[in-house]
Amino acid sequence: VQLEAVGKRYGLRQPWVVRGVSVDLRAGRLIRVSGRNGSGKSTLLRVTAGVSLPSAGKVTGRPHTGYVPERFPGGLPFSGREYLRHLARVHGLRGEPGRRRVEQWLERLGAAGYADQSLRSMSKGMCQKMAIAQALLPAPGLLVLDEAWTGLDQAARGELDAAVAERVTAGGIVLFVDHDPARLAGREDERWNFDGDGGVTVLAGPAPLADPVPQAVRRVESVTLRLETTDAAGVVDQVRAIDGVRVISVNVDGADGPGAAES
Amino acid sequence: VIALLRYQSAILLRSHRWIFPLIAYGLLIAVGAAGSTSLAETLDWSGAMLVPFVAFLTRGMLTAEPDAARACVAAAAGPARAQLATLIVPLGGGAVLGLAAVAFDVLTAEAAARSPGAGLAGKVAAAADHPAIVAGGLLIALVCLLVGSAVGALCNPPLLRHRAAAMLSTLAAIIIALVADVSPASAAISHTTAQAASPLAANWPGTGSLLGAACLLAVTWGVSVIAGTRRDTWSASSD
Repeated sequence: VQLEAVGKRYGLRQPWVVRGVSVDLRAGRLIRVSGRNGSGKSTLLRVTAGVSLPSAGKVTGRPHTGYVPERFPGGLPFSGREYLRHLARVHGLRGEPGRRRVEQWLERLGAAGYADQSLRSMSKGMCQKMAIAQALLPAPGLLVLDEAWTGLDQAARGELDAAVAERVTAGGIVLFVDHDPARLAGREDERWNFDGDGGVTVLAGPAPLADPVPQAVRRVESVTLRLETTDAAGVVDQVRAIDGVRVISVNVDGADGPGAAES
Repeated sequence: VIALLRYQSAILLRSHRWIFPLIAYGLLIAVGAAGSTSLAETLDWSGAMLVPFVAFLTRGMLTAEPDAARACVAAAAGPARAQLATLIVPLGGGAVLGLAAVAFDVLTAEAAARSPGAGLAGKVAAAADHPAIVAGGLLIALVCLLVGSAVGALCNPPLLRHRAAAMLSTLAAIIIALVADVSPASAAISHTTAQAASPLAANWPGTGSLLGAACLLAVTWGVSVIAGTRRDTWSASSD
């Protein structure tokens, strides 16, 4: 998935909630998005998940996506099981395989016994389980979790942690926001920090490097370089090709030349 | 898309948001059938009343799905397709009901003809035997169906989210659609009224009004779908 200079605002006279975010999301990465309340985390998650289109820039190469919203209030005239069967079909899982997948996830999240209750009468935690189940049904290539752990019991939180690990191992991308800094701590590959005015700084996370690295190599958390160039895209490609570089985040100061404008 | 249509029509059916428009339409049709003097006039009336029915059914559908549920569906199937499905379902409902109303009009007209004697009833029965009148009635119903859907898409979320403003502008737009000369629905209806003097005459509403209604539908649906892909809140707000 690529975000290219993605910006989002809700109306022409509204302020930019997210601005100028350019990132490559590479396969098999677990990404934590952090920032204070109202900094634009949820908006960026929604744009990345394809729930709404960006106001500027574009999102390309998005695989099949599962999205868990921060609040899932029910309110639909279905039972939990009926809702999930509808959503399985919307995700492209028809007939028996779809039904089996629904039962599997209800079982895993400990919700099978409550799935025939109507969504309107379900507790907050049970509704949240329905929202999580619908996102995980299709084994999505991109899983976007907006405070998905809120309201879950301990067993379900553990199952969700396990499901996230499964997606990442299978080469999927998982993007998440959570108020608890201990959530999946030590396992993130990248951290996206909102800097307060809608911009995002991408940092390498504490996750162990996948490839074996010699003990002598010192770990460098982040390096800031200032370059003057007419071929910004070329330079970025060269830096990316350096062994061990995991994340590149580019800020363009004076976009004079065509190359700079592109990056 | 079929899965989306199934999902949305299940929401519409089970949320019971169709009951009030259906009852109102049924009453209006019954009144219209009782008060009309010819089949052409009856068909005119039942077509015209499709405008408010489809507009309010579309409003019911556009406000039925909570934002969080829509967000999940939009991520799975794309926000444009999700919005399109919420517009297609009430249009389909209107089409079914419009067909039913035409059938009802023709059948009650025939029943009246079997009652012995009455000169007027005889004329109505003769009209029912005239397929061009029924075809014209179907065409009027189609024009009104498209216009009603356009009104519903334009005056409701995601374009107009304030509840009171949406209700009032939907009502105003329905009246304009049925009265103003520029409206394709009004053009289709008044075309027959002009010919109603001779009940046997075919009542073609003219291809112009059908074309106009189709353009209106395309524009309003397009705007609604674009708004649906840009917004993060779709349903009604009361402030």
